[in-house]
Amino acid sequence: MGPILALSLRQLGGRWRLSITILLAALPVVIASIVRLAGADIEDHFAPDILDRMVITAILPIVTMTLATASFGNEMEDKTLSYLVLRPVPRYHLVLPKMLATVIIAGPILAISGIALVLIVGEGGAQMAVAVGIGLFVGVAAYSAIFTWAGLITPYALPYALVYVFLWEGIVGGFLPAVRYLSVRGHSLAMMYGVDGTGFDRYEDLAIEFPAAIIGATIVIVGFFWLTIRRLRNMDVP
Amino acid sequence: MTNSNPIISLDEVSKWYGNVVAVNDVSLEVSQGITGLLGPNGAGKTTVMHMMAGLAAPSSGTVEVLGQSPRGDHTIYSKIGIMSEHEAVYGFYTGRSFVELAAKLYGIDPIGPAVDKAIERVGLVAAQGRKLGTYSRGMRQRMRLAATLVNDPELLILDEPLNGTDPRQRLEFHDLMRSLAAEGKSILISSHILEEVETLADRHLLMVSGKLAAAGDFRAIREELDQQPHRILIECAEPRAMASALVQSEAVDSVSVEEDGSIMVLSRKVSVLQRLVPKAAAERAIRLMRVEPLDESLESVFSYVVER
Repeated sequence: MGPILALSLRQLGGRWRLSITILLAALPVVIASIVRLAGADIEDHFAPDILDRMVITAILPIVTMTLATASFGNEMEDKTLSYLVLRPVPRYHLVLPKMLATVIIAGPILAISGIALVLIVGEGGAQMAVAVGIGLFVGVAAYSAIFTWAGLITPYALPYALVYVFLWEGIVGGFLPAVRYLSVRGHSLAMMYGVDGTGFDRYEDLAIEFPAAIIGATIVIVGFFWLTIRRLRNMDVP
Repeated sequence: MTNSNPIISLDEVSKWYGNVVAVNDVSLEVSQGITGLLGPNGAGKTTVMHMMAGLAAPSSGTVEVLGQSPRGDHTIYSKIGIMSEHEAVYGFYTGRSFVELAAKLYGIDPIGPAVDKAIERVGLVAAQGRKLGTYSRGMRQRMRLAATLVNDPELLILDEPLNGTDPRQRLEFHDLMRSLAAEGKSILISSHILEEVETLADRHLLMVSGKLAAAGDFRAIREELDQQPHRILIECAEPRAMASALVQSEAVDSVSVEEDGSIMVLSRKVSVLQRLVPKAAAERAIRLMRVEPLDESLESVFSYVVER
């Protein structure tokens, strides 16, 4: 699995993708820094609101979809996927490193961004930082599973992913509480609330139950991992 | 077309994409030695090879490679080396690291000697430390071949491996294939250029328009192809006089004067016709503007075979 992970990190860690990831991840930190330096009155729920409305709803899915849709998508496009599938390795040995590469690149950058936001605003302590890190990592892992699969089933994964995030995660999830059980945003918020209920009391009405979030996120990650393996076994490779 | 011990066998295999039939009811067997899969571009060679490689599933029929289906069991790839027609490589890898990646995925341990041997066989020892992105097309092809050979496979499936190679590299490739065949490996090579594999392969499979047009020893196929009447277009000052002069020759099967005044000649003895046309024109003081064979392409040769 190691050689494929190294290859995938090399492929996804290109300059422009890394630049987009870092630029987007820096946005909330920059905003928090400006607010802090300006000496403005920071409301109690400033950090949770920025985390939900900016990081989890927009930056997290955009960064993850940019990376994950490309992990198989680019190899389909430039016809290099055959170098991997024509080797005697189990298909999960191909899929797991591809998903992990997105998590390894996006996870730490987004987690550092979220933790920095919380620390700069000065609302919470270590528990809140841990909650942010866990919530964002779970979000990255779940989106990575979904979008890696999407990159394998269609050459138009990126636009489809944008529509899905905007409609399902953004609009439908906001109006129908039940959708939160099937929404990555719902899982991430519930993780943060579950780890630090005091720091993230703002999410009390938004978050689903902690165990439900753990089970939901696990189902999404394992489910799409399995779907990707199945797709790779049955598809015609260009 | 039967063989007691085929390495690859296709039984009534078809492959279609929507309404497009890429391969139509093909049955063939590939046995030990070197087999050439020939056909013009778009004949279905790559689709057939993709099905043999397990990259594509047949829409109908069965494909067996080394006695098993090439799809669904990844362990089969430890015995096969497959080089697809796509020339894309990981440009950021050096030639050596590209072959090393293949060796690692094949589970070779230690990888060093196997990688050394494969790179040496394709003659790229000096360039192995350079990035693939800086390679010429021919060099890339050879390094891709090295990655295909690194696990010492018993069967090689090579799709247009000579694309981008120069004449010297082709000769070296021929030598390499012969030495691999002498080691007991089975090799299937596709090409759209007849001459590329004409002298190399022991047996040939000819594909046209998704169908298997002919199979067997090349000389027999070639003799059959030679029976095809060639079409020659002639433009001259007095087409009717020229046509009546040509029709008397044994070298000419038929002559027709087209609406635009050009002459279409069908002939099985083109070399005789080549001498006859200028002679007939000179004797009758007819000015020749154009003499052009229309059937030089491989496509037309194969078309004849499939339509006969």
